[in-house]
Amino acid sequence: MNPDSLSYDTLEERPLPKWLIDQKSGRNTIQPEKIVVKEDHSLTITFIATFGLIILVVALWALYLIRKHKKKGL
Amino acid sequence: MKREFFTMILLAGLISLACTTRVSEWVLINSLPTEYTLVYFHSGPLSETVKKQNQALAESIKTANIRFKEVNRPEINKSYFELYYKGRSFSTYQTRDELTGITTSPMRRDIAAELMAGKLCVIVFLKTDDSKKDDKGLNALHNAVGSSPFGNIITVVELSRSSREESHLASLLLNVEDDLKGIREPMVFGVFGRFKALEPLVGKGISEENIHLMIDYFTAECSCLIKDDLPGTDILFAGKWENPQPALLNAIIDANPILGK
Repeated sequence: MNPDSLSYDTLEERPLPKWLIDQKSGRNTIQPEKIVVKEDHSLTITFIATFGLIILVVALWALYLIRKHKKKGL
Repeated sequence: MKREFFTMILLAGLISLACTTRVSEWVLINSLPTEYTLVYFHSGPLSETVKKQNQALAESIKTANIRFKEVNRPEINKSYFELYYKGRSFSTYQTRDELTGITTSPMRRDIAAELMAGKLCVIVFLKTDDSKKDDKGLNALHNAVGSSPFGNIITVVELSRSSREESHLASLLLNVEDDLKGIREPMVFGVFGRFKALEPLVGKGISEENIHLMIDYFTAECSCLIKDDLPGTDILFAGKWENPQPALLNAIIDANPILGK
């Protein structure tokens, strides 16, 4: 800014000092750490994994038993 | 192993102490004032007399936050001095006499003494010499300082911008921002640390609310945001800043911890 020519029309439009704006908005103060509550999906994942595992074991077991009975039948 | 453990404990203690230091005290102890540059512009080779005069000048200002240098500019007709701060021209001086008292003055010595005595800050009220405008701002200033719990550790000084004795100080303050010289309004400068002047409150901006915010700024815990981006301009001054008195602010906050929140 040139000292002899103001870039604003009136003194009211003159920007406030940055330190004052920061102080007004509370930016200068040490902010407490924000605790963000994250959505917890671990229980759903555990249920799905357990259910999937049971289905897989039952399916494999059934397959095993079917094959075994087929061999006996032959 | 034991030694490393104690070092870690000590470091953690120091870090936690650093975080509770207040802005005013932290800046006084840690922030070195930025240097000005006084340039002597001349055309052609210097005579022996001028060289000696320049040496004497450089010697007389060496205790201040300023360095002196000579620059040869063949295109100029008459030699002159120019004062720079962070690459910005503050003032020009046509004669050596104009430089008298550039690094010190009675008011600057008084302000520095207050800061070294542990005061929170010195608030400089730069008058316009229009009593109608000045009185309004002064009332707001005195009301705000008087009602502040830290009022006793704040010094208020008044300076006329037409003062001959303090003409250098008035000029330096009016250079804190590059448009201030063109504004004929009273201004309030918060001076802290090693003579650092905050960007001022101007005219209608001199309100009790804003002055309280200024005081809050000085009493705040020194956050990293403040340390990394310190506002203000270091005023030219030949001062000794070693061994300041403990900050008077700490006793007030120790007695009333709620004031430090």
